[in-house]
Amino acid sequence: MDMFLYVDVESFVHRLDPRTKLLLMFLSFAVGVMFNNILILTAALALVVAYGALGRSLSNLKRIRVVLVMITLFSLVIWSIARPSGNRFLVFSVDGVLYGLMIAVKTNLMIVAGMIFLSTTKIEEIAQGLVKLKIPYRAAFAFSTAIRLVPMIVATSYTIIQAQKSRGLDLDSGNLIEKIRKYVPLMIPTLISVIRGTNIFSMALESKGFGYSDDRSNLLEIRMGGKDYAMMTAGLLILAAAVVLKVDHSIYDAWASIFPWGDFA
Amino acid sequence: MKDVFSMWKKTKMVVLVALCAGLYAALLIPFKGFVLIPGITEFRPASALPVVMGLLFGPAGAWGSAIGNLIGDFFGSLGIGSLFGFVGNFMFAYVPYKLWINFGKSSEGIGEPDLKSGKKILAYVVVSILGAAACALPIAWGLDLLGMVPFAALGSIITLNNSIPSILLGIPIMLILYPRIKKWDLLWTDIMDEDEIPVAGRLSRIGATVMTVSVLGGMIGGFLAAFGVGQGLLYSGFGAGGDVGSLGVTLVAGVGTAGLIVSSFIQTMPKKSS
Amino acid sequence: MSGTKSIEVKGLSFTYKGEGAVRAVDSLDLDVERGEFIVIMGPSGAGKSTLANSLNGLIPGFIRGKYEGSVLVNGKEARSTPVNRMASEIGLVFQDFEAQLFSTNVNLEIAFGPENFAVDRAEIAARIEKILRTIKLEGFEGRQPATLSGGQKQRLAIGSVLATYPGIICMDEPTTDLDPVGKLGIFNIAKELHEDSEFTLIIIEHETEEALNADRLVIMKEGRIVAQGKPADVLRDVAFTDEVGIMSLQIPKLLSELGACGRDDLPMLPAEGAEFFARKGLFLDRERFREMLDRDEARERGYGDTIVAVDRLSHVYPNGNKAVDDISLVIREREFIAILGHNGSGKTTLVKHLNGLLSPSSGSVTICGKNTAEHSIFEIGKEIGYVFQNPDHQIFADTVFDEVAFSPKIRGCPAEEVSVRVQEALEAVDMAGYEEKDPFSLSKGERQRVAVASVLSARPRIIILDEPTTGLDYKEQKRMMELIKKLNDSGHTIIMITHTMWVVSEYAHRVAAIKDGKVMMDGRTRDVFAREKELYDSFLKTPHIVSLGNMLGGTVLSVEEMKYCTGGLE
Repeated sequence: MDMFLYVDVESFVHRLDPRTKLLLMFLSFAVGVMFNNILILTAALALVVAYGALGRSLSNLKRIRVVLVMITLFSLVIWSIARPSGNRFLVFSVDGVLYGLMIAVKTNLMIVAGMIFLSTTKIEEIAQGLVKLKIPYRAAFAFSTAIRLVPMIVATSYTIIQAQKSRGLDLDSGNLIEKIRKYVPLMIPTLISVIRGTNIFSMALESKGFGYSDDRSNLLEIRMGGKDYAMMTAGLLILAAAVVLKVDHSIYDAWASIFPWGDFA
Repeated sequence: MKDVFSMWKKTKMVVLVALCAGLYAALLIPFKGFVLIPGITEFRPASALPVVMGLLFGPAGAWGSAIGNLIGDFFGSLGIGSLFGFVGNFMFAYVPYKLWINFGKSSEGIGEPDLKSGKKILAYVVVSILGAAACALPIAWGLDLLGMVPFAALGSIITLNNSIPSILLGIPIMLILYPRIKKWDLLWTDIMDEDEIPVAGRLSRIGATVMTVSVLGGMIGGFLAAFGVGQGLLYSGFGAGGDVGSLGVTLVAGVGTAGLIVSSFIQTMPKKSS
Repeated sequence: MSGTKSIEVKGLSFTYKGEGAVRAVDSLDLDVERGEFIVIMGPSGAGKSTLANSLNGLIPGFIRGKYEGSVLVNGKEARSTPVNRMASEIGLVFQDFEAQLFSTNVNLEIAFGPENFAVDRAEIAARIEKILRTIKLEGFEGRQPATLSGGQKQRLAIGSVLATYPGIICMDEPTTDLDPVGKLGIFNIAKELHEDSEFTLIIIEHETEEALNADRLVIMKEGRIVAQGKPADVLRDVAFTDEVGIMSLQIPKLLSELGACGRDDLPMLPAEGAEFFARKGLFLDRERFREMLDRDEARERGYGDTIVAVDRLSHVYPNGNKAVDDISLVIREREFIAILGHNGSGKTTLVKHLNGLLSPSSGSVTICGKNTAEHSIFEIGKEIGYVFQNPDHQIFADTVFDEVAFSPKIRGCPAEEVSVRVQEALEAVDMAGYEEKDPFSLSKGERQRVAVASVLSARPRIIILDEPTTGLDYKEQKRMMELIKKLNDSGHTIIMITHTMWVVSEYAHRVAAIKDGKVMMDGRTRDVFAREKELYDSFLKTPHIVSLGNMLGGTVLSVEEMKYCTGGLE
């Protein structure tokens, strides 16, 4: 299934422990959240993209480009109309365009960081990482099973759409409320045929010893190595630098003054 | 909230979490393109599911809704918002089922959610709207706090976007699903041990009241605080120089969110039969 | 010698919660020796699955109800041992392979069981290697289960159960949802497992022919064992198998109905049958055979005009897979055509073009004179109805009436007209009187018939059926096919996808076999089934009676035909 973002190649980032990659993702989120300055955010985005290149995962940018472009356009348009201050060109305010751009970079930064994590980490590694982070096994199991089920359910719902279309269901006509109502013949069979499986599913699980004991072994082995500690240290250093930048006004102002119109702190 | 953790002991509940999450994610993904706020939310007919799953499968529906939303985010919108989305979507399913236990004036509650009377349908509409708002509250609070999206805009968009499918699609689905699920012994009340199912009672009633007040207070108070700093509802919320991340919104909506979570722990448990 | 017993069932009775006093299994006794291979057969509702689920304690541990008697597995009481602990004694494989796979790749799927038992990593790796060999999935280690074929998934499900090294395995209709290649894969594994003299194997099956390989055949009906013994001995009693409602072997059925042979000497297989014919001076009566060919021709003269025209159709999926490759096919009104082929052969892609669900990449499809590329599915749907394989993929309404009324309602019929059509459609599928019933609580066979009715209510001239008999027992299959035959007799053109060869031989007028997106064979059923070798090479096994006919020099399609054509009887 090529529904998922995972890119099956070898790379430095692929070989990192899932916990390391999870931490790096959250660090990117943190830096994104901390600043409202186009320059700083762009620099952070550049770092994230470089990390993505190291993980040979940038091919996925193409797959989520619609999302990225939409975020950018939406932010630009809505904020440039909405921001009241400053000079206007027609209905657009210059200040608003820059503010929109800043929000776009901020949001895209996080989306790209999330994409890199998913492109370089297998589902089973994520689940395994969660277990190592003391998330109970059963929750991690439910999570990874749900992911496995998604393509199956999508395929089932696709068949159901075809079956109902063959019987004359026309999803394109009618007003909004009628359209929403037309989802009933699609959703009911999907829900019923999936939920019907609960019993068999649980029976098959228990029949394979699920819950036999709390002590479980694991075929997959994930282990923190030197490169994990190196990457985590690098990430934390960057965060520390960001905190200094945030707290120390003199440094921050020096940065902000390079392009004062792009700063909204 | 105890049921939320003790349910993991039951294999069937674990499976229901996985199935609910899979269903929710599978129905979310095709609509990732119908974006309402890029990177944050989109038009979601799948929003009909959490309330239904909550009422049918209780805590398993809540976990399923939370995990399903997270998986949905894996398809191009994983970001900081996913954290708040996890909590919000958990509440989207959890609040309706919690409120249903002790809905109405009677100390017995209102009975099973088969929607077979006008009163029950009304109750369903009420808990759906509260669930929708309970989903919107932590998300809007969180993203406003981080300065990303204004509270009033996001809160109102999510609440509306969640309640419409929950009501329009949710009612017919519930009417058809409930009797079948009951027949197959898959209602959460049939799966869990009796002494682990919260029942109607004084504590449950207090919990429900605190929960309702928190959701409404956090949401409406949050709106008022947001208007105070110049925000507006829906898309107009992006305009008017609204100050994102203002103290008032952060406080009021934050208290609401906290109250929502605290109230989840207040419930009546049946007396141990042994 | 109780040490040699794998399973001892004593006085087992079970009543499901909410089923009143109906015992799904009723005072049942069954002993299984270590190393034995037994096959259990019986109509649906006989209690086979209930028995299977009792073996590892799913009943009564997981499924509630009233339980009496005892089940010992390797000396362990199944009732009081937790199901997950039983997993190291007995493995259970279910029909629905999708619901048995949980992991994101093949290796992890096999590792799942041993992991639960905290088997150490090196040992699990060793087991995986061994099991991949047994289930013939070497080279698939890292594959996601979702990307496997049905047969491979079921093999993986078996492997995942074998990984905890149980001494017994019980498979509950493992091949029902598989195509012929997939079925063969499972039977081969079963054979291999049986070679281990310590390994006990229990299979619940519908395919009578496969039961012949077992050490013992057990027949169940209404919760009881009604016969057991050497498969050949049990199956020789044709009157009995007919009565129980499992498919009788065709050769003994023919000869015992002809009264040509005493019960104990009845040959079982086509080759033995042909040898018997030669020994007793029986032969295929040429003149009578000729009459049958004339009947075929007369029927063809009765066909109407071209109703479906597929012209040089190709279809390429977005991923580049060319599923249909330059197929041309003309179907005339009132024909009954069966489409054969494996999963992935392109037959479903082909058929989905007929009602406009898919559009040709090149070539054209014309239905009742309308080009599907120029008309919507909605319009084409007035002429051609499509019954999908799984009725649960379309049923959504509260009552049978609403379900069947969906199509005419959505097409704007007035209320009176809708009731007339629903009435007519339900009568056609023998379900008048079911209007107010809840479609979800009907049996699989009944749900399948509701699905047919809900297509009939649009009054299409052509009906496509995708595997209409899958998952039904023999009696239900027969009933479904008689119903389709009736629709055909009343003027509907029938296009049917199926894997069930006896259904094709007894009911279809014409067969098109699809392979790799091309039509490999297309012709009268009689002519195609004469090419037994070619069919066999594509894993399509002709029914025994057809093989016998072919050996005797004329392709007959049913026991009735063979009876009519047998010459040389006193």
